[in-house]
Amino acid sequence: MEQVVKNVTRTRSQPIFNKFLDFLSSVRVGVFFLIFLVVLSMIGMLVVQQNVQGFDSYYTSLMPAQKVVYGYLGFFDIYHSWYFNFLLLLLSLNIVLASIDHFPTAWKYISQPKTEATKAWLKNQKYAESFDKIVATEKIVEVFKKQGFKTQISEKNGRINIFGQSGSLNRIGAYFVHVALLTLFLGHFVALNTGFDADVRFEPAQITNEIQLIQFNLANLSNPNADIQDRFNVQLPFSIECTDIQQKLIDPKGSIEINNTMDWRTQIKINDPSYGDTLADVSLNKPFGYRGYRFFQASAITEGKAREMKLEITSESSLEPSFVTLARNGSAILPDGTKIEYEKFSSDFVVGQKQATANEFKNPAVKMKVTKNGETKSAYAFANKISDKIPIGAPVFGLKFRLAEFEKVPLAHVLSIKYDPFHGAFIAWYLGGFGLIGALIFVFFVSHRRVWAIVDGQETIIGGNTNRNHQAFDDSFSKIKAELM
Amino acid sequence: MEEIRRIENNASWKLYLPAILAFVGAFVMMALRFQLGTNFISDTAFMMMALACYLTAAAFGLTNLYATSSMAEKISFFTATLGVFLNLSSWLVRWVSAYERELTKLAESGNPATPWFFRYVPFANLYDYSIAFAFGAAFFTLLLANRRDFRFISAFTLPLAALILTLARFIGGEFIDLPPVLDSYWRPIHVGIASLSYGVTLVCFAVAVIYLLKDKVKVESMAIWASVFGLLVFGTISKFSVFSEFVYRSGLFLPNTPKPFSAFFRVEIPYVGFALAISSILLVGVIVSFLFYLYQNNDLGKKIGHILLKLSLVTQIAAVCFLVSGVNNTTDVYGKLQTELKNNPASFVIAGKEIASKQQMTIQQISQISQPQFEQAGRDYFEQNGKKMYLSLGTNPVEFSGILTAIVGIVFIILFSFKTDAVREKLPSLEGLDNLMYKTASIAFAGLAMLLITGAIWANESWGRPWGFDSKETGALVAWLTYAAFLHTRISRGWSGRSSAYFAIVGFLFVIFTYLGVSYLLPGLHSYA
Repeated sequence: MEQVVKNVTRTRSQPIFNKFLDFLSSVRVGVFFLIFLVVLSMIGMLVVQQNVQGFDSYYTSLMPAQKVVYGYLGFFDIYHSWYFNFLLLLLSLNIVLASIDHFPTAWKYISQPKTEATKAWLKNQKYAESFDKIVATEKIVEVFKKQGFKTQISEKNGRINIFGQSGSLNRIGAYFVHVALLTLFLGHFVALNTGFDADVRFEPAQITNEIQLIQFNLANLSNPNADIQDRFNVQLPFSIECTDIQQKLIDPKGSIEINNTMDWRTQIKINDPSYGDTLADVSLNKPFGYRGYRFFQASAITEGKAREMKLEITSESSLEPSFVTLARNGSAILPDGTKIEYEKFSSDFVVGQKQATANEFKNPAVKMKVTKNGETKSAYAFANKISDKIPIGAPVFGLKFRLAEFEKVPLAHVLSIKYDPFHGAFIAWYLGGFGLIGALIFVFFVSHRRVWAIVDGQETIIGGNTNRNHQAFDDSFSKIKAELM
Repeated sequence: MEEIRRIENNASWKLYLPAILAFVGAFVMMALRFQLGTNFISDTAFMMMALACYLTAAAFGLTNLYATSSMAEKISFFTATLGVFLNLSSWLVRWVSAYERELTKLAESGNPATPWFFRYVPFANLYDYSIAFAFGAAFFTLLLANRRDFRFISAFTLPLAALILTLARFIGGEFIDLPPVLDSYWRPIHVGIASLSYGVTLVCFAVAVIYLLKDKVKVESMAIWASVFGLLVFGTISKFSVFSEFVYRSGLFLPNTPKPFSAFFRVEIPYVGFALAISSILLVGVIVSFLFYLYQNNDLGKKIGHILLKLSLVTQIAAVCFLVSGVNNTTDVYGKLQTELKNNPASFVIAGKEIASKQQMTIQQISQISQPQFEQAGRDYFEQNGKKMYLSLGTNPVEFSGILTAIVGIVFIILFSFKTDAVREKLPSLEGLDNLMYKTASIAFAGLAMLLITGAIWANESWGRPWGFDSKETGALVAWLTYAAFLHTRISRGWSGRSSAYFAIVGFLFVIFTYLGVSYLLPGLHSYA
């Protein structure tokens, strides 16, 4: 009795597992997974995601019930939810299992080509023709070759079989597509799980060896004083110094807003205890990579500042003005030994008020320290005309300063830093992505075309088929027919 | 021997000569624009001529389908060729105009920089993209039409291409200052692939519809889906006011250079909402009547359904006429809006919330603002800007195109219901259509894959973030997945044919949603286009 039960269990468990594998490897199930993926992606499109700009106002516009339900179901971050990742895993499994399932049949086309056909089968093909004459084997081979077919001749029981084919690898083209897709998934997974994204704000002369990671935390929504973005500092294995920032404007006299901007450039110096100093430029669309870290231009803090200032200096003893260039955070020495040091720049200087931040250059002014014969005084240079009678307009050491020209820049640039130690993004998008494009072109624009000819007795039969591009094959077959006629 | 000659002639490059000529001719127009400057034909004029050609070609194509005439077929083919030439000319001439505009702007400000020619490829906004999309669809149609048995496709694809150009007309062709992040060589590659592959999806959609028609799907079933589409459009436009109040309110513009701003208020256009509401009731009647016919075999239901469908078409056309006339003839927008807002002060609160959302406030900041404060913000905004607001058909291009698409859909249904069997006879075999659908879907699938990959690589080069599930990225992915499902239905037993056609149709609807809906309705990195 025990033996019987064991046997029953064994015979039942095997089919269930097989059935499960059959289910998971079924193309139809794969189509359903794709449909589920489409539905979840659509939800993610329609429900504004927590990392998208505008999420805050969207969230406040929702009804309380919507907030609870969407939050519970993970709709605000659906692409990182467990069920989305689980579905991707199932889809990947489906791709792998379906590929394994169908591979032997596809491989047979390459490893064991059907070099011989029966008359009945050949006559039944969509593309078939019979001639009541014997056509020379050489002639058939020549005509087949002319149409791009690689030929094979065999003889059996006095019957000559000629087989021609081209593009047989196309039968396994779908596997190239699947391999490329899995490479893409894998690379992206590696990049996501081994790296991170962070932002760092740079003003010229600033040095840092820390970057800030941002993580969204919707739990903070219940606390009116908390931000939904949690920030963490991460220590870098090197320090970064911002040596210069520049903004290339369409109209140099215009604003530093985005619509007047051609490019932002940040110059950084990396001081690495292991590898020494490295100087690099980071511009828009031109990132810089270093030891698995890539630096990108992200945004700018548009408080108006000057990068390089041209000062007009008029001495009380001379009517002819002289000019000197002063860099942000820099200094200049006049011929008489007077030293001018940059102290502060205001884009909208208002006399008698604390200088507020402004992105418009209404009344630009630079504050300097002027040192002569060991004595240091503060001096101002204004772009607009200012009276000598107000104290800040009065000459300093007999010198009157005017801000003749200046190059506009923002207060700071924000660089985004992507850490990807195993080059997952490269593997995913360059190898997987370009591989996918190549594989798809191979699959859809190449076809496996086969032709057969049987010369038997007084009869010659030709026939053929293709797995794609029937019209082109129709043309080729018509040409073969016409030439053998 | 004669047969060989015939086949060789068929396969020769001469068959592609119209497409080649249209392509080369457009580049000649571009060169002429360079030489002759702004005195040359403008891009807008080229676009309008292309629109006229597409409509003419479609009209002759349909004529040929209903009453076979080789003359009508030839006229359709050659006007389609002319349309493609004008469409591409419009885009290329615009490229030169954009380049010159930027050169002038730089020279006027004393900037000695010489712009990179590719910086000004006209792929900067939805207008540029729409012109390229229509070109992609028409050019691909032309390539297929080198085979005479495929020329009928133009009767179905070119009205859709014309609709896209009409939408472009309402979006407006003002140049925008290129956002700096778009100044990358990946932009022409990525957006160029997008517009061409979207064009192919349009052709695939048309073939799928033709397949269903040939496969004897009842016109009444199609009418039900077209009615559902119409109801969805009418129900959602004007912030749901057509169904809730029987009123249609149009958006307003505020003057700004180079492109006007959209105001936070809408103003009622008389009779439009009423006509659309009547049309919606008629469409519900169409659905009920045809369901009776399809499930109860009730011939009276069929007869009533067709009458209601035609009446609905009339009311929709009336609504469009009221809309165009209302937009063009309303002069005192401020006074009208003042009266409406007096009766509906909640609009101030809605406007206040929209203002807050534009200022990118945090949840905490927004939750601290009270309703009266939102209302006051709306009132202040109205006081400051109310007198400058004006009406234009360009304020709601998506809504307007939605109404036009519903009309075109119903026109086609009415056409299909006329001599249906005769039309079916003239269409190629089901197998031929299925092959064509597979071929176009394969190209669309490969094109959409290229679109996704090039977009990801560009994003990786610009932001270090190849994939971020941005709305447009996800939209393109969803469409690609749908075409993937389409291709897999063909190797799954019992799902080919009609099921595949449904997938091709849904895939195109996702493409359209990505193209329009994402740009206008959803936030994200691609909201400029």
